[in-house]
Amino acid sequence: MGLKSAWTKLYQTLASVRTGIFFIIVVGIFSAIGTVILQRPTSEPGDLQRAYSPETLVWLDRLSLTDIFHAWWFLLLLTMICVCLIFVSADRWPNAWKLYTKPVRFASPSFRASLPQTVKFAVTDEAASLSVAESVLSRFGFRSERVTEDGATGLFAQKQRFSVFAVFIVHLSLLCIFAGYIVDGIVGYRGNIMVPEGQALGQITLRDNRGGQSKKTLPFLIRCDAAGEDTYADGSPKKWWSKLVLIEGGKEVAAKTIVVNDPFVYQGIRIYQSSMGQSGTPKTLTFAATPAAGGDVAMVEVPLNGKATLADGETLSVLRWVPDYYIQDNQVFNKSDDPENPAVQLGLTNAKGETKKLWILYSQLNSTKGQDAPFEFALKHATWAQFTGLEVSHQPGQFGVWFGVVLMAIGLLIAFYTQHSRIWAAIAVDDKGGNLLWLGGTTNKNRERFQAKFEQIKTALQDEFSKPAAGNDNKNEEKTLTKA
Amino acid sequence: MSEARVERQQPASGATLLVLVGLGVAFALLVALLAAAKTHSGPVYGEANMLYAALVLYAGAAVLYMGYGVAGIERYVNAASLLTVLGFVANTAAVVHRWSVAGRPPFSNMYEMLLSFVWTLALLTLIAERAYKVKIIGSITLPITVVSVILMQLLPSDVRPLVPALQSTWLQVHVTLAMLSYAACALSFALAMMFLIQDNMKTQAFQAITSAGMAAVYAAILFTRFRAGALSVTAYDLEAKSEVMVSRGHPLFLQIPDLGWLYLLVLLSALVPLVLYIVGQVKKDAAFIDAASKGMFVTLLLQVAGLAIFIARVKNGHYGSPEADGLYSTALPANPFLMAGMVGGIVGGLLYLLLLWRREGLQKMMPSADDLDRVTYKIICIAFPLLTLMIAAGAYWANQAWGSYWSWDPKETWAAITWLVYAGYLHMRITRGWKGRRAAWFAILGFAVVIFTFFGVTYLLPGLHAYAAG
Repeated sequence: MGLKSAWTKLYQTLASVRTGIFFIIVVGIFSAIGTVILQRPTSEPGDLQRAYSPETLVWLDRLSLTDIFHAWWFLLLLTMICVCLIFVSADRWPNAWKLYTKPVRFASPSFRASLPQTVKFAVTDEAASLSVAESVLSRFGFRSERVTEDGATGLFAQKQRFSVFAVFIVHLSLLCIFAGYIVDGIVGYRGNIMVPEGQALGQITLRDNRGGQSKKTLPFLIRCDAAGEDTYADGSPKKWWSKLVLIEGGKEVAAKTIVVNDPFVYQGIRIYQSSMGQSGTPKTLTFAATPAAGGDVAMVEVPLNGKATLADGETLSVLRWVPDYYIQDNQVFNKSDDPENPAVQLGLTNAKGETKKLWILYSQLNSTKGQDAPFEFALKHATWAQFTGLEVSHQPGQFGVWFGVVLMAIGLLIAFYTQHSRIWAAIAVDDKGGNLLWLGGTTNKNRERFQAKFEQIKTALQDEFSKPAAGNDNKNEEKTLTKA
Repeated sequence: MSEARVERQQPASGATLLVLVGLGVAFALLVALLAAAKTHSGPVYGEANMLYAALVLYAGAAVLYMGYGVAGIERYVNAASLLTVLGFVANTAAVVHRWSVAGRPPFSNMYEMLLSFVWTLALLTLIAERAYKVKIIGSITLPITVVSVILMQLLPSDVRPLVPALQSTWLQVHVTLAMLSYAACALSFALAMMFLIQDNMKTQAFQAITSAGMAAVYAAILFTRFRAGALSVTAYDLEAKSEVMVSRGHPLFLQIPDLGWLYLLVLLSALVPLVLYIVGQVKKDAAFIDAASKGMFVTLLLQVAGLAIFIARVKNGHYGSPEADGLYSTALPANPFLMAGMVGGIVGGLLYLLLLWRREGLQKMMPSADDLDRVTYKIICIAFPLLTLMIAAGAYWANQAWGSYWSWDPKETWAAITWLVYAGYLHMRITRGWKGRRAAWFAILGFAVVIFTFFGVTYLLPGLHAYAAG
């Protein structure tokens, strides 16, 4: 088999609707399987272990059935649909283009025989009958042109000829959507970030398809100034909101209060409200201050990044907050972000500006007793900062997708609700040598409707020819209606 | 054209009157059942009462439409049409009332979606009847509306505030389009079935389809709910009027002992006619086909018994759960999937019986096969662009709410599969000239996928759309 015939064969295979339908069916079947078998990206890791035995899971993973929609062979199948779309369209394009630019304008006798809708009228005056046909056609919205070929004159009229492009528009729109999806697959990313109130962070945890934990640093920092949950009277959540400020190069570049369904878009990066919760970082800490000299116990509330003034004019601030401490070599270290076992280092500053550092190691002794200070402090209460859970995505391909969607809507509209209708008229000669006005037409879809229209045109023409003014002898009228 | 045909129709015989009376009795039983299942309160013009009125009117219309199918009396269809219009008015009032109370269009849960679906289906039926002169269509679509409204009576119907993810105009656009396209798909299904009847497909073949459909329903029920002989149902707190949750998103499942075995029996009985039919086809032995026909009656009776026992045991009794101590109650509203399956199976069986007994009469009343074939195609030409826009609006909403326009969650995937099936239908029809029976089967397949996307994905598959079940 030569290279050329191999290409021809490949071309014919890919350009056939049957091949396209085959790939569509295969994609449909694997998509369905992907909704039945638990998929790693959309399940908790434990779910798969519970649902399948270890041996089964190994095989499911090996065949990438636990992540069908990101498997290379699934993407290949989608690509094959695209390839088929391109070949099918390329194969049909020349015909459609010819139909659009160079339609058959003159109805030759052999062409006339091939039309589904035809009618003939006996006429005496050729030129006059063509004019009558012209005016009747224009009354029905068909603007006709006169065509001469081999010395004979005829009429040609067409409507909604752009309808021939509908299928190409729809196919192109699908390609746009796929292209957008592929672009997002390559350069796009999605991840999440938890930002506690008052902090500015810029590193997201990527939503890796394999459940990995890769990180990505954004070109800006996201600072959450406030976040909260509004609830309905029955306690169910009504609104989650976060007041966000973006900081780029140390400057505030943009700000917005986002809610669910109303993301923050900055330089193609979209930030979504996805969850809400309490962080392990306190907003304020409240201490009981007992004067060492004796006296009433006072409660002092200290903001984490601020200070409070005590009764004797000294100021109290929180120097360090350690949510889960341990001690090694006489130093305090943190081992997790859960405020399970906190330690607080307090700074007590007197009027001279001298600061005394005091530790509260909550689990050992909730007091600064014995640390030689005018007060003994004990941690009594904390208010916690909210954190806002944000989803961050960069999907530049989505504009291809939306463009494709709009294009598809237009394409489908044209495909289903417009039709390319063509009508020809010509002067012919009957068996006995008499003159006939021949009229024929065809359409590319919705034949019944065109048939009805054609009947109306026929009746209108009949009326015109039977008018006494035309001076025709109606007895000679001959008409036939043939259906292909 | 049906008028001319009806004149040649014989008057109703004893058997058909029997069917009519049977249908009437069935309806009365249903109404009694509903009255027992749910008590109404609130203003007379309120949603619950309006919906109840719509149910009664639709049910009356359905019986009359089916009576038109059975007895061929033109009078019936006019009365049925009038009842449908009245039911539609009541249905509209219910929609408007709910909309005004909730302050948003009614699309946020299964109950509200069914409310809108029924409204759309009734509207489309009236349009099909008036614009396309397909009068018989009501005998298929109206029973669907009745079943849907009955289901709604069993679903929790209190107006719940929207969780943040659902507060979006795009979501409403998405669901409106979904309802319109699904209703159009339902219509194309009804027309395709009518085409198969008109195209002289053997009644036994319909019996095989019905049997396969029922078996699929009971297989799905057993697949998800069979627990060592018991049937697993969702616990329901009658006083709090809510499901009992083990944890967020995980309802508590109770086990009704022995009911699982009964449903296994029903499944087997539903399979018997199908197996007998296949054996009869292979052996070319009419005796098997006859036996299959009898098997249909047996399974239908068993299904009715199964439903009755299910209702009785759900309404009276407390059951234990392996997940929690103590006994809990359950209720019909908590188990819409089971109810939908069982009622759907029975209605399918009744439609089959109608065909079995009144095939000729039905055929005389239906439009010609060619017309049905053409209208099916036209309806799909309406459904397909709607389906496309529905998916697009859903993707746009997902992009606003979750940060990605496509994440392959089961509902999305199945919506795409539905789209592919109808795209396949259109390609085969337009480029390869598939018409008639093959096209009708394709349209039926399409609707089967729609049903799965609508119910199956929510109740059978896990997914992000779990809150739609509430």
